[in-house]
Amino acid sequence: MTNMNEVASRPGFGASPHASGVDLGQVPAKMTARDVNFYYGDFHALKNIAMDVPEKQVTAIIGPSGCGKSTLLRIFNRIYAIYPNLRATGEIILDGENILDPKYSLNRLRSKVGMVFQKPVPFPMTIFENVAYGIRHHEKLSRSEMENRVEQALRGAALWDEVKDKLKQSALGLSGGQQQRLCIARGIALKPEVLLLDEPTSALDPIATSRIEQLVEELKRDFTIVIVTHNMQQAARCSDMTAFMYMGELIEFDRTEKIFTKPDKKQTEDYITGRFG
Amino acid sequence: MHATASNAATAPAHTGASRTSTDSRNDLIFGWVLKACALLVLLSLIGAAGSTLWLGQDAFRTFGWGFLTSAAWDPSNDQYGALVPIMGTVGTAMIALVVAVPISFGIALFLTEIAPQWLRGPVASAIELLAGIPSIIYGMWGLFIFAPFVAEHIKPWLMNNFSAEPPDGQVSWLVQHVPWIAKFFSSEYPFFGAGVLTAGLVLAVMIIPFISSVMREVFQTVPTRLKESAYALGSSTWEVVWDIVVPYTRTAVIGGVFLGLGRALGETMAVAFVLGNTFKFSWSFLETGSSIASTIANQFGEAQGLQRSALMALAFLLFVVTFIVLLIARLMLRRLATKEGN
Repeated sequence: MTNMNEVASRPGFGASPHASGVDLGQVPAKMTARDVNFYYGDFHALKNIAMDVPEKQVTAIIGPSGCGKSTLLRIFNRIYAIYPNLRATGEIILDGENILDPKYSLNRLRSKVGMVFQKPVPFPMTIFENVAYGIRHHEKLSRSEMENRVEQALRGAALWDEVKDKLKQSALGLSGGQQQRLCIARGIALKPEVLLLDEPTSALDPIATSRIEQLVEELKRDFTIVIVTHNMQQAARCSDMTAFMYMGELIEFDRTEKIFTKPDKKQTEDYITGRFG
Repeated sequence: MHATASNAATAPAHTGASRTSTDSRNDLIFGWVLKACALLVLLSLIGAAGSTLWLGQDAFRTFGWGFLTSAAWDPSNDQYGALVPIMGTVGTAMIALVVAVPISFGIALFLTEIAPQWLRGPVASAIELLAGIPSIIYGMWGLFIFAPFVAEHIKPWLMNNFSAEPPDGQVSWLVQHVPWIAKFFSSEYPFFGAGVLTAGLVLAVMIIPFISSVMREVFQTVPTRLKESAYALGSSTWEVVWDIVVPYTRTAVIGGVFLGLGRALGETMAVAFVLGNTFKFSWSFLETGSSIASTIANQFGEAQGLQRSALMALAFLLFVVTFIVLLIARLMLRRLATKEGN
């Protein structure tokens, strides 16, 4: 009856029991990956991935470079589909529907699953327009409604106080950390259900990083968050669940606490103790 | 290698000092050489403008400002005015831009955003080859193939719809109700293919490779992550192109357009073939005319005295026209930049 236990019995996941004193049964899965395989042309990049992303929790994906963690993230909103020769098989269930089904509209998927990238990428427009841009693709709002939504999003991304007097200025004038929070604002402005963060702090200084981590903690109230990070402390600090990937396979997926204290798999332990990767 | 221990100890200090002095001397010479190269550009520009102005002073002095506004170009009476060549130059270049810019835009976007990988290389090389075709070939093609086509198909259609004296005898509704429109589509010799429109279209074909290859290179500079971010917000390809790629590259795209315009303004041979080389002023696209460059090319051989000076004055005006065009481009870009809040 619990999703986590279901996952545990699937191939490719391993036999990690969730009975380690943590009641995850209360948390329903928001997204479920089943038998997901991914190919870059002939290269088999992801092998039989199965995992449940719990709702309104932070799920971290860690692993050494090239293990496929970003690739997995990029399947969750099918952003890979803009390139030729990339192919995903299997199923990813979001609210009962398979998003890998070609019939599932990309526009709809991306309004439900937002994404923030590694480097801050503000569009060459004003700060206001950066946030309003995405909303316009999905909803028709009046001027005042739009202003409300933009303010809401900027507040949500903890950026409002810093930019409220310069909404009409170019977003390119913001600092790196502010730009990244603007990208988060842009993402949450669409009111998505899932927010994908692809190494969101790797281009930021420590202070900006801790602000983003704080923000992730707050965003969890409203969104299901999946974060890819190469920084293990970050995963330990701000996630509830952690997935460890290696060579395109999901080695272990469990409560963050457990992964970082007594992982089941030798490979996981070697990685988190710094013996490789 | 054969040095003694004491020599070895002093040698580095010695070469170090002399190296420093040769280095600074070399850098000084290097700096002057580079400066001279850059100055050469400035000198040739000033030299060309100055000598055309100097040699054209007779014409400017004889006709004054009237040289700009007079449509007379009559070597037998020694009367010269630049209005027809200026209008011909600007008119053909504008038609070329209006046709070439959207097409180049489409080519460049197709190649960078939509075309499959295997198609991109060959098409891009084909475009570059097109840019390398000598203009005399475009001129011959224009005169022998394209102008007859215009005379047979395009011109009759335009005149039937937009002129006051249509070949089919039925004045169209549009012409009856919008009086000034017929002015742009009249033609003294309806069965003659050469003219401003024909020259403009040939020019368009000539500048498409230039504009599209600049645009293609510029579009390739848009960071992937910028496009991915827009796709991740649910944008379609069209929206990504229009909202992200175009604004990001606007300055460089306009630069490419003006590169094409510069070429269109100065193009000589192709235009000389298909423009008709007449000096009667007309507002019509379908009428023959002259451009500055084609007039100079056609008449310089026999020109003497005041006519020669008038041609020099024309050359100087081409400088001025080009300069004004570039100036307008700069001002436009500056206005766009302030509008975006940069």
